[in-house]
Amino acid sequence: MKVPISWLKTLVDPGASTADIAYRLTMAGLEVEKIEQIGTDWDNVFVGYVHAVSPHPDADRLVLADVEAGPHRLTVVTGAPNIAASQKVALAIAGANLIDGYSDSGQRRVLKPAKMRGILSEGMVCSEKELGLSGEHEGILVLEVDAPPGAPLADHLGDTILELEITPNLVHCFSVEGIAREIAALYSLKAATLPAATVQELGPRIDEIVSVDAPELCTRYMGVVLEELTVAPSPSWMTRRLTAAGVRPINNIVDITNYVMLETGQPLHAFAMDKLNGQRIVVRPAEDGETLETLDHQIRKLTADMLVIADANSPVGIAGVMGGSSSEVSDGTTSIILEGANFDMKSVRHTARDLKLRTEASARFERGVDPNLVEHAIARATRLLIDMCPGATVRGHADYYPAPLEPRQVSMAYSRFEQVLGIEIDREDILDVLGRLGFDAEFGGVDHSTLTVTIPTFRSDVSLNDDIVEEVARIIGYDALPATLPIGQTAPVQRDSMYAMQSRLRRVAQGAGLSEAVTYVTVSESEIALFGSKDRSGIGLIASVPENEVLRLRNPLQDDRGLLRVTIVPSLLEPLASNLKHSSSVGLFEFGKLFLPAGQDQLPDELDALAIVMAGQREPFSIYSGNDVYDFFDLRGVVDVILEHAGLEQATMSPLLHPALHSGRAAEIRKADTLLGVLGELDPDVARAFGLDGVRVNVAELNLRRMMDCARHEKREASVPRYLPVRQDFAVIVGEETPAGDVAAALRSGGGPLVTSVDLFDIYRGDQVGESRKSLAYRITFTAPDRTLTDNDLIKVRKRIEKVLMQEVGGVLRT
Amino acid sequence: MNYETFIAELHALDAKATQALEEVTDSASLEEWDRSVLGGKGTLTVLLKGLGGIEPEHRPEAGRTANKVKQGLSERFAVKASQVKEVALQQRLSAETVDVTLPGRKAQIGHAHPVWLMIDELSEIFALMGFQTVFGPEVETGRYNFDLLNIPADHPARDVWDTIIVETESEEIVLRTHTSPMQARVMEKTSPPIRVIVPGRVYRYEAQDASHEWMFHQIEGLAVDKGIRMSDLKGVLQELARQLFGPERRIRFRCDFFPFVEPGVDFAVDCAICNGKGCRVCKYSGWLEMGGAGMVHPKVLRGVGIDPDVYTGFAFGLGVERLLMMRYGVNDIRAFAGNDLRFLSQFASMRIQGTEVTR
Repeated sequence: MKVPISWLKTLVDPGASTADIAYRLTMAGLEVEKIEQIGTDWDNVFVGYVHAVSPHPDADRLVLADVEAGPHRLTVVTGAPNIAASQKVALAIAGANLIDGYSDSGQRRVLKPAKMRGILSEGMVCSEKELGLSGEHEGILVLEVDAPPGAPLADHLGDTILELEITPNLVHCFSVEGIAREIAALYSLKAATLPAATVQELGPRIDEIVSVDAPELCTRYMGVVLEELTVAPSPSWMTRRLTAAGVRPINNIVDITNYVMLETGQPLHAFAMDKLNGQRIVVRPAEDGETLETLDHQIRKLTADMLVIADANSPVGIAGVMGGSSSEVSDGTTSIILEGANFDMKSVRHTARDLKLRTEASARFERGVDPNLVEHAIARATRLLIDMCPGATVRGHADYYPAPLEPRQVSMAYSRFEQVLGIEIDREDILDVLGRLGFDAEFGGVDHSTLTVTIPTFRSDVSLNDDIVEEVARIIGYDALPATLPIGQTAPVQRDSMYAMQSRLRRVAQGAGLSEAVTYVTVSESEIALFGSKDRSGIGLIASVPENEVLRLRNPLQDDRGLLRVTIVPSLLEPLASNLKHSSSVGLFEFGKLFLPAGQDQLPDELDALAIVMAGQREPFSIYSGNDVYDFFDLRGVVDVILEHAGLEQATMSPLLHPALHSGRAAEIRKADTLLGVLGELDPDVARAFGLDGVRVNVAELNLRRMMDCARHEKREASVPRYLPVRQDFAVIVGEETPAGDVAAALRSGGGPLVTSVDLFDIYRGDQVGESRKSLAYRITFTAPDRTLTDNDLIKVRKRIEKVLMQEVGGVLRT
Repeated sequence: MNYETFIAELHALDAKATQALEEVTDSASLEEWDRSVLGGKGTLTVLLKGLGGIEPEHRPEAGRTANKVKQGLSERFAVKASQVKEVALQQRLSAETVDVTLPGRKAQIGHAHPVWLMIDELSEIFALMGFQTVFGPEVETGRYNFDLLNIPADHPARDVWDTIIVETESEEIVLRTHTSPMQARVMEKTSPPIRVIVPGRVYRYEAQDASHEWMFHQIEGLAVDKGIRMSDLKGVLQELARQLFGPERRIRFRCDFFPFVEPGVDFAVDCAICNGKGCRVCKYSGWLEMGGAGMVHPKVLRGVGIDPDVYTGFAFGLGVERLLMMRYGVNDIRAFAGNDLRFLSQFASMRIQGTEVTR
């Protein structure tokens, strides 16, 4: 909400700087987001008095004005249609820096005397636009009659505007009066009350002109019928305040309703009486399919859950949101019904949201306006209407208010203040603060230990003892609180096992040269379509989710990315491609969740996964680097290290066919029958779809939850072996199709517990091993924990290995 | 051979061999000298074999002289050998000279994401204060994300969080807008004393700009016990600010509204760059907002079955990216999910706050 400080000062003036007022309000919960100064750029602009206006001899549309401002008496040539003798105007003299009235971009220029159609214009009379007050440039700004000629305009019209954030609990501060009440409480002052019409001035009761058919949605409806009104522009002090508050001036009657809403926080509306069928008001639910043209000239389709104000026939306004254009106050209007009502906050909120029509009125109603505010605002607006429209009369008023809202009481222990805040506050201070805020409070009971507070009805946000604690604390100031540390027992702290595992693997991945990325969790349909196919059971690498079950967002930030991911890999391909533009090799990893649907209306199963992508030169570009690019085995090396650090050295790889992966370079990782992960080179077409045409992209995704479940938990040999290891080389001849992994497994199983490592160091194909066969050369390290191995031991082991090789892979040792 | 001839030849050989040894420069010629002089068929060895033919009365004298010559040559040989070795070593090292200004073979090491560096750091700091790090679901029900946090449906408070909604038949399922739903989840599962922090991703339906991102990370803090006071909240957050931004830092509490706390707090730390005097970074306010906090609302406690008259608690929420931006002067939040390695790699070398702890 925007409020000129000059307006606030009509109600309470703490005699403090704007900065101090803004600071105290902010600290107490009413945040001043912005302080805007008006008039700081009005050098060389003064209040001027127009002595005379005469025609320009050579131009029909220009006039010559004789304007005086203190020592300056100038002739000004102007085209302003509204200038007249005896007016007070804003006179700019040479050197003034004003906004160009014909510019849309707020461009400024410095005023110089200039000839206009042969006559020198020594200065300029300014429009509101030229002064930066509004966009108005039809005519010049005419000041109040009592403006002092010769005074700098900034002294007369300059102001400071506070822009306040009204949080949802602060409906009582959604008004000049409410903010003034806060300022008064903060400075221990009393705010002035606004002049208002007396009960007598509101005339006799004419309750029959209002009927409320939806009492649960309209708790109060007050209507005052005013007659013999004259519609005219509002005085400039009012239009200026409205403009400063961001409300566009219309005419005196509409402006008064808006002005009083800003003053009091109670939305008001004026219906033109002659345009109401039956000259009466009916508050009722809309009928499905009913339409209404609102004041903004949009046709609104109404539904039965919306509340409308209707005349005898049809809707004339949407309750609490906006009036209809058919009953709009216009130039010929002489009689109105002034509406002050209280509508249900949820209903207004729903309606405003469904119609996408948020207004000053709806913003207040949906926060819960006090129904007791109605009579205050109605009386205030009636006062202004009577005062500003001489001759206006009040025919009478209706007040539908079957169940007046009574103030509530809350009783609480005095000790609660210290229990919550950690600091003792004197009883007198509590009573003082609450009194300043409009609460009635008193201590009673044994030792005055019970505080009973009567909560004013405008404080719908206060209902509990801790609300009272906050009221007191915020006015006294949170600065008064000491900084202590919690005492008492602490809960035993445990480490989250998944976080611990991720932390470890994060270091391992870093050590392997990969960098961590954090990507968005949403993907597009076309992206994930590449990671599955219709003939497979679904989409994903380690997961498999039917395409139509992937979770969909109703309002994604990026329209084309409206699905929650079931694999992280596609999300990493974009940063991979972009980083490859400036880096010869890129390796990325990400820890994230896969969102696996768990059934309609159920929260998804969130699976912790680790994804890796690698592409580009194996070695960073330098004098040492070769031209090799990362391939499957670079990736596998990283994955192996990660598995090892997760206690999964025993995991096995086997070939995998997956639509997103190279048909000859993809594998799944299993321990026993459990799928732990997938790795492989991206299919070239898939790579191209992600902007990685011709790039070998190596990707992996690991299921961290299963890795944790399958990790080896048995105790390890922690001591360094005391006896020297023995290394022997074995060349195994097997069929071409036999996977090397199977041969290594056979060597391990044949070698038994003495084997500490099996390392493949050569693969040979050729005449010496024969057609369709290959020779795999392994170096096996044998160690015994308790003795030095003898030749005899090794001969036995070799025999076992020979036997197992033959049984498992049909292999023979080459001699 | 008579004695005189033998002695003469011996001296001649000594002089000649010594001369030859002096001319030796490398190990090959040294070996050749050794072989031709001291070796089995070497000149000295051959000459010494003639010792037996000398008259017996001169033989002892000839023997002594011969030994002296042999010993002299052997010693000179040893000196020469070590010289030759030294020269050879020098030559090798000189031949192996490199341009030390050439770049090294780069060890390839990656970087953790700054968000996780910060989360790890916060987790460590809070662990020292007895807070356990826990994690929760990123997709939440309306009940946990809003209802149990005293943000009822149809309340304008709900608008504060622009929510991304998952398509469902009827149940309200959303991407969590904050880490606060874990307050309720933790309190449902465990009973006081509770001290947890909850890091994780959160999501907002919010247009992106330099200070707004639709996905970012928060850390939620929650402490519930008998006797937890708002001053404790202040103490814990002050401790945090000092751990993160230096021991001189002060924090400021101001009243703010969050439906799930009462009283509510917005907390700020004084700007470390200008020491609170006001500068461009803190927009001349002297303060940098760190997050929201407050005492757990009695309705929230009651909603999970904890008696608010007996137990009190505090809760706070911190934006992880925001803390990084404050500490390292990053001015565009979008950089964190931008994943440009030139940005991400900088944080590995950033100073880590800490105090020298003396024992």
